[in-house]
Amino acid sequence: MSPSRTTAEHATTTESIVTAGSSRRRGEGRAAARRSQTTGPDRSAGRSRASTIVVTGLLVVVALYFLVPVYWVVVAATKTTGDLFGTFGFWFAPTFALWDNLGQVLTYGDGVFVRWLGNSVLYAGVGALLATYFAAAGGYALAKYEFRGRNAVFGAILGGVLVPGTATALPLFLLFSQMGLANTYWSVLLPSLVSPFGLFLCRIYAQATVDTSLMEAARLDGAGELRIFHTLGLRILTPALVTVFLFQLVGIWNNYFLPLVMLSDVDKFPVTLGLNNWLSQTDRLPEFYQLTTGGVLLSIIPLVIAMVVLQRFWRGGLTEGSVK
Amino acid sequence: MSPLSRRQLLGLGLGASAAAVLAGCATPGTTSVNTLPTVPPASGKVRLEYWAWLKGIDRVTELYNRTQDRVHVEAVFIPGGNAGGYQKLYSALAAGAGPDIAQVELRSLPEFLLANGVVDLSRYGVDQYEELYDPTLWNQVSYTGGVYAIPQDSGPMGMFYQPAVLDQVGAAVPATWEEWAEVGAELKGAGVLMDSFPLADASPFAAYATQAGASWFTAEDDGWVIDMTDDATLGVAAFFDRAIDDGIVTTAYGAYTPAWFSAAADGRIASVATGSWGDALIEGVSGAAGRWRVAPLPTWGTGYASSFLGGSTAAVLANSEHPAEALDFAVWMTTTEEGVNALIEFCGIGWSPARDVVGTLREQPSAFFSGQNYAQEVFVPAVQESSQNQDWSWWPVTQQSFNILSDGFRGKASGGTLVDAVVQAEKDIVAVMRNKGLSIRKAGA
Amino acid sequence: MSASSGATRRAPWVLLAPFLALFLLTFLVPIGMALVSSFTKVTRGGLFGEAGVVAEFAGLDNYAQVVGDPNFVASIGRMFLFGIVQVPVMLILCTVLALLLESASAKWPGAFRAAYFLPYGVPGVIATILWSFLYVPGLSPLIDVAEVVGASPDFLGADTVLWSIANIVTWSYTGYNMLIVIAQLKSIPVELYEAAKVDGASPLRVATSIQLPLIRPALLLTAVFSIIGTLQLFAEAQVLQRVAPAIDSQYTPNLSAYTTAFAYNDYNVAAAQSVLIALVAFTLSIVFLTVTNRKSA
Repeated sequence: MSPSRTTAEHATTTESIVTAGSSRRRGEGRAAARRSQTTGPDRSAGRSRASTIVVTGLLVVVALYFLVPVYWVVVAATKTTGDLFGTFGFWFAPTFALWDNLGQVLTYGDGVFVRWLGNSVLYAGVGALLATYFAAAGGYALAKYEFRGRNAVFGAILGGVLVPGTATALPLFLLFSQMGLANTYWSVLLPSLVSPFGLFLCRIYAQATVDTSLMEAARLDGAGELRIFHTLGLRILTPALVTVFLFQLVGIWNNYFLPLVMLSDVDKFPVTLGLNNWLSQTDRLPEFYQLTTGGVLLSIIPLVIAMVVLQRFWRGGLTEGSVK
Repeated sequence: MSPLSRRQLLGLGLGASAAAVLAGCATPGTTSVNTLPTVPPASGKVRLEYWAWLKGIDRVTELYNRTQDRVHVEAVFIPGGNAGGYQKLYSALAAGAGPDIAQVELRSLPEFLLANGVVDLSRYGVDQYEELYDPTLWNQVSYTGGVYAIPQDSGPMGMFYQPAVLDQVGAAVPATWEEWAEVGAELKGAGVLMDSFPLADASPFAAYATQAGASWFTAEDDGWVIDMTDDATLGVAAFFDRAIDDGIVTTAYGAYTPAWFSAAADGRIASVATGSWGDALIEGVSGAAGRWRVAPLPTWGTGYASSFLGGSTAAVLANSEHPAEALDFAVWMTTTEEGVNALIEFCGIGWSPARDVVGTLREQPSAFFSGQNYAQEVFVPAVQESSQNQDWSWWPVTQQSFNILSDGFRGKASGGTLVDAVVQAEKDIVAVMRNKGLSIRKAGA
Repeated sequence: MSASSGATRRAPWVLLAPFLALFLLTFLVPIGMALVSSFTKVTRGGLFGEAGVVAEFAGLDNYAQVVGDPNFVASIGRMFLFGIVQVPVMLILCTVLALLLESASAKWPGAFRAAYFLPYGVPGVIATILWSFLYVPGLSPLIDVAEVVGASPDFLGADTVLWSIANIVTWSYTGYNMLIVIAQLKSIPVELYEAAKVDGASPLRVATSIQLPLIRPALLLTAVFSIIGTLQLFAEAQVLQRVAPAIDSQYTPNLSAYTTAFAYNDYNVAAAQSVLIALVAFTLSIVFLTVTNRKSA
């Protein structure tokens, strides 16, 4: 049995990835790593011309599946409502109304769409940032310190990973109502600051990569614990932090149930709720179809670009050891 | 830090959370604003919020704001009541917030009553306005000696049809439902549908049952009495079972959905029995100008000439700080010439709730509907007291009841019948009322 | 020395404090409230409760009502069905794609990866809005194209709407899961591949003997999260409800809880539903993890 297979099968799931990943970093197969980063590993066992064509063909078909809706919305955003119903969906209409539509989207309701985008950035950006910080602090604490109650705390948090967040949204709404927090920015932000999974990831990562000896050395130098965490711990944890941040960012951006339950002021809506609000008005006011398609296009363009650009962080962060 | 103080801290934390847990556990909506003293009218400037889904309602409020300076009404759009609007209202009420005025359909008002969400306007002198309003509608906003909302619009039913499509088979406009079924059979031969019957929305069915003379719920002193399995209701259900089986109506889509618009434009659907507010929606059918007319709703033989489909009110919500001003605005909007005309012109409401104001726009013939003055010909007679079932009362769990009915109706697509769905729905609705702690019994029990 | 060791002992709690405080507030307290609420019930006198409203201990009444509600039970069953079909399909798809992309025969892997990962950036609600336009007859070019060949697909019919939702979920998450698998694939030591080449192994054999076993941990974790995600389905059903009459207001467990709380104002029953949903999710995950961990040990 090869050593890596033993590692994979005897360690716990994510820890195995960590060891495989970090052993990579530490030098076993460093030459191979270097090679893989430049020309790709020599996995040429099995390449042939015919298989290239078949494989590429399959990949293209699959790519069409993933891209068709995006293509559709680009085309749809150039049409007026009448044309949306009247002309063929996959090709343009004689009237090109893209700039009109986008203009309307941005100005309708005193620019409420722009406000929605801003709200989403606030909830997701600030939320994910702080959530990552708290998760890192917590994970680091659980990993690097021995203290009573450590396992109980970890168990409780692990439970938090497995319980769906939507089950807590309704009682949380009632709690916030009692506290006068419902329908405020805090009502969506506060729950977003908690990432049990992020803490879980950071703990595993911290256990594997933060050397206790480094911490001891810093203590001997007279540094306080918090200082050690901020200067030493956070720096070493950075790849995991990026993963947690991105994970939480997407999670908050995608979260629909929480803001739906908490918010009733249209001004505070994230863009997901806002667009759904527009869509729900289409049966009374058909012009909302145009607004909705335009809004969908505008909201996914930045996301799509971000995904394509940030894609390598998922790759990088994950190979460095913290699998989703 | 000594272990003791850490434990103390933990204890404090747990204690605080226990307190929060218990405090947070008061079920919302269980205390009523109508048992508290009334709020006197304010002396300075007042700002009111009005949540509604009527399009163009902001122009009506703007008009009001221009007529005086003291009260400023702000309109906020919410999704249609059953499409999420009521959810928003209930959650705002549960959070101790919410607007001053909200659009609440007539049929949903009792549910708000159950949640203690609306103000009893009789405590604010609303009785002086009673004679300004259509008596059928006033009945439907009055419960247990109080008046809980101001009628805002109603939907007297009629039948909108395409004469050219009927002429295809040489059919005359049906005056009774039996004739309607016969015309439908002839149209089916020509590949045309008579109407649609939405399985997912039980409100047209309820309207037809009302027209046939049914009265599903009656409020008595000791509780509610339910009777959904009377001859009128079951007769209507059986009639539509046959209509669906015979293919006269489609169940694949409801009125005013994208698929319906497309069928109407192509002449594949001949008519739609709907509330008077359907006129604005039919005007959205492409190429419909001059191709539609309006006829009175077909009748059942026994029962009434027409029925109401839909109809909303402006209710003053429990957490409002200015109920007196809110009432004044609602009365202005629904009884003055300018208010009603604005509602008709900007919002396309179904029918005016005021007894004597029909609205100037509705006093002339309509070019769109082939020059017919359908408002005077069809709908004015339809709202007369004698044309409407005065015994019909709504009840506290309407949304859930309609969901139960439509769930049962969905079974029609897989071989069930509407009649069975109604019988089962009656039992389920009794269970729902009992689970809510209300007392209910079956008629004759 | 005692000062710094005191500081060292305090440090983990200080570090954990913000997380724990928020966790308590947004997690433990609501769960506690839901539990208490689920054991409470309200009785009303008179027609609308005007004769008095009393809150009292309900025992298991709310739970009995929830379990006895055929619509809620059906929604849970529906989610099981959904999970049993959609999760494996998605995992197979993402594994196959990952293997294909990482195989020697793939050209432009970077571009394809980007294309496949792109849908992950589209929030579920927006993806549903997008796909709803592609499902609605009259708007959908897909139906137009299908009619050319004589088919008339009904994406929103009673039998098909669940799978239309499954399609949206698969579309959104396959790329993401694929990246996870690729990450795990990339961590397979190159020596294994070289050994395989020396042995003259075909690409299929490479896949089944080397790659599949070693990506198992990634697949497992993905599966667990997909299962939890399935029970949380809400946005897709709620957004499609407008255009799909087949979706009733209790179509998914979360939709059921939301309707019960905010449409029927039955907060206590909704709390019981939330607790049950949480329990089911929790149990499923634990069971799944235990079973798979035992197999691997």
